[in-house]
Amino acid sequence: MHSLYSRFNNATAFLSSCLMALLAAIALSSFLFTADPKGDIAIGSIQVLPGNARRYANKRQEFAFVNFNVTADLTSLFNWNTKQLFLYVSAEYTNQQGVANEVVIWDQIVHREEDARISVAGRNKYHFRELSASFRDVSPAFYTLKYNVMPYVGVLTYGEAARTPNPVPFPEQQQLS
Amino acid sequence: MQEHLQSLLEARIDFEGQRLVGQIVQLSLVAITIISFLLGFALQSLRVTFVTFGLSTAVLAVVVLPPWPMYNRHPVQFLPPKENKVKEGSRDTLAVPS
Repeated sequence: MHSLYSRFNNATAFLSSCLMALLAAIALSSFLFTADPKGDIAIGSIQVLPGNARRYANKRQEFAFVNFNVTADLTSLFNWNTKQLFLYVSAEYTNQQGVANEVVIWDQIVHREEDARISVAGRNKYHFRELSASFRDVSPAFYTLKYNVMPYVGVLTYGEAARTPNPVPFPEQQQLS
Repeated sequence: MQEHLQSLLEARIDFEGQRLVGQIVQLSLVAITIISFLLGFALQSLRVTFVTFGLSTAVLAVVVLPPWPMYNRHPVQFLPPKENKVKEGSRDTLAVPS
């Protein structure tokens, strides 16, 4: 402590400890906010259409097209430690082999609290395919709106904002005229 | 010239000053951390937290790092040098073998 360098060293060493404690306190403070907002998800229509698999041009595969409506007020998820929200709609079903699948078909990033009141009439953003190439004999699917809260400091937290009250069956494959 | 520059860069303070600086650093850094957390939590803004933390740390650096006169109020008092030390020593070494 007698020279400038040792004073600087001493002060910054303790400063880094204090900064770590501050960051830890901020990360822990996220657990004080226990908002659990609920919204609605409704499935408008589902179509199953044949198509070519992306990688193998001669392999036939079914694609599902889901139209859905999502409304939710997620502003309560924004607190001082929320950087952004990742919202996603996923379909949950059991396939012919009895494997429980969860397929993300749509997502959106919400940066600001003002944009957190969402009302979206959307269609699946990503190809909705079944691994066995067909949705025949697949169980009806629940559709859920889930969110992932991304903080500035701390842990990612997940939650479910909406779920279709009843599972929605996949229709028969339509033939393209 | 070089000695002057060196003492300016070293910015020495005395032992009492060292103790004082240590206490000031520890107390105020803990206080800064707590206050900036509470302020940011109350206003729900991480920006407030880190601006408070950064600015008050800068102020603390100005208070603590330069060799202010308040850290040099107790200079070390050295004993006066003994004039006959070399003579006594030589007499002693002579005295031991006899």
